[in-house]
Amino acid sequence: MPDKRQPAFDWTTLNLQAVLLAAGFIIMVLISVFTVFVIDRAAEDDENLARTLAIQDRLTTTLLALRRAESGQRGYLLTQQESYLQDYTAASPRVMPIVEELRDLVAGDMALTRTANRIKALARIKLDEMARTIDMQKAGDLPGALTVLRTNEGRNVMEEVRTLVSQNIAEQANVRAARTEISRRNNIVLLVLTLTGSALIILIGGTSIVLVQRNYRKAEIARQELAGTNNNLERIVEFRTADLTEANNEIQRFAYIVSHDLRSPLVNIMGFTSELEALRQDIFAEVTRLNGELAALNGKAAEADGKVDQLGADFDEAIRFIKNSIGNMDRLINAVLKLSREGRRQFHPQTIDMQALLGQIAGTVSHRVMELQASLDVEALPPVQSDPLALEQIFANLIDNAIKYRRTDEPLRIKVRGRANSTQAIYDVEDNGRGIDAGDHQRVFELFRRSGKQDRPGEGIGLAHVRALVRRLGGTMELKSELGKGSTFTVILPLRWSVNARSAA
Amino acid sequence: MNSKLSEQPVEIVMIEDDEGHARLIEKNIRRAGVNNPITPFTSGTAAVNYLFGADGSGLSNKGKPLLILLDLNLPDMTGVEILSRVKTNENLKRIPVVVLTTTDDAVEIQRCYDLGCNVYITKPVNYDNFAHAIRQLGLFFSVIQVPAPE
Repeated sequence: MPDKRQPAFDWTTLNLQAVLLAAGFIIMVLISVFTVFVIDRAAEDDENLARTLAIQDRLTTTLLALRRAESGQRGYLLTQQESYLQDYTAASPRVMPIVEELRDLVAGDMALTRTANRIKALARIKLDEMARTIDMQKAGDLPGALTVLRTNEGRNVMEEVRTLVSQNIAEQANVRAARTEISRRNNIVLLVLTLTGSALIILIGGTSIVLVQRNYRKAEIARQELAGTNNNLERIVEFRTADLTEANNEIQRFAYIVSHDLRSPLVNIMGFTSELEALRQDIFAEVTRLNGELAALNGKAAEADGKVDQLGADFDEAIRFIKNSIGNMDRLINAVLKLSREGRRQFHPQTIDMQALLGQIAGTVSHRVMELQASLDVEALPPVQSDPLALEQIFANLIDNAIKYRRTDEPLRIKVRGRANSTQAIYDVEDNGRGIDAGDHQRVFELFRRSGKQDRPGEGIGLAHVRALVRRLGGTMELKSELGKGSTFTVILPLRWSVNARSAA
Repeated sequence: MNSKLSEQPVEIVMIEDDEGHARLIEKNIRRAGVNNPITPFTSGTAAVNYLFGADGSGLSNKGKPLLILLDLNLPDMTGVEILSRVKTNENLKRIPVVVLTTTDDAVEIQRCYDLGCNVYITKPVNYDNFAHAIRQLGLFFSVIQVPAPE
């Protein structure tokens, strides 16, 4: 059957789809995280680049300012013209602030801080030297100033500064190049990752679409198959229902015809038996008369003939047996006829106030209950939607039985209880009567079967009739009973019974 | 029947497939003092042939004082069919028809009266009741009027 294989397949497809979707989502998250990381890195790189450029700038300007101050100093010393001092006075005060700026920029970098400090120290020495020589010149001590120059101290200092600056500028350029390279690589990785991820997502999306389409087609096919099967099933149910209805009608007709046609010969048997009985009177009267005549002829007094009386008794006995049997058979046939008629009766379901219905039944047996000093208690009963006439027959029968099969050593107590759940109404008819042997619990519901002491009149159709009615109303019957203690008959009915609910029954 | 019809005795046509029943019915009618001729038939076909004649028109029995005693369960056709044919025939429709059968089904009884049956009696199984019923029927026969011949 397709409906057994299909759901299993759907499950794997669904699982696959879920896995694909999860994978796509994870890839998207990874790409996003990496992008954020790379962007963050790029910002950091930019910052680093700016710092590197600033460092380079400060290094260069420091050197430039020192050179400018130095050239002004030398020009003044050579020419003694005040105009050369302008360059010096302009450049020299700028040196230290620039060096301080450099120190701020490289704060945190041990090597660069050391370099900056060294440059600061060198700059201070250089500035001192220049200030000293200019002051000497101003005081008219040119030879002293030239002596200071000739020590080459200033030139050495400048040489060291120049070397430091050019070394560091080159170093910063290397750092910059390395950073640019890392940044470029990151960008490439990001690009590759984004492209791969996008390709994967497109692939997953495509696969999902294909899977969904395939799944949908399968589901559609399964749905059509199911619809077909359902149609088929409905037809099968229709056929079966029709068959059952036909069989049921057949049985009803059969029961009716059998019981009906059996009555015909019975009329004859009964009729001619009665004719025989009438003949017997005539014959025996004739015999008695002839006997009397014979006795008179023989001159004896007519005397009672024991032999003739015996014959008459035998005759009467035979007739009595025949008539009793016919009576029994007639009752049985009538019972079958009654059952078959009940089976054909149409039910008319309606909402029934069970309290009122049981009250009515209790009313019809009240005088018998009073006579027997018995009690019949009807507790609160839930209403039910069913056939009122059938329910009346059911409960009247059960209560009749309770009264009929009472115990003589204890006053009869009958209780009718009811309860309901979401679909069923359940009624108990409980008595403290003679009870039914456990072995007969099924048998008592069978037609013409009775249980226990056969000291009450009856054909054994009451409970069979009750059960047939309960079944036709879509319900069931249960029996709890203990011999000598009492019985509880439970009638379980659907809360709402409609003609269509069991049209086949 | 003995009173009015003695001058022109009414013939009782008894259609009853069970010979035993036929005999018991006849015995009990006679015990009621009815002496009219009884013509018994055990099959529907024979009775129809007798009633409707060779041409099937019923003309041969037109105006003849007849009374039909009809059982519904016949082997070859149903009594209901005979009833409906008699009651729809121009020449026979006034013949009183007494349905005497074992069926006491309400629907069947209604149907017979609808078709024009005059009396419907269920055969009791208890012989005393049966004999009583037939004797009552016999008494009834003795007082009813059948249509006068034209």
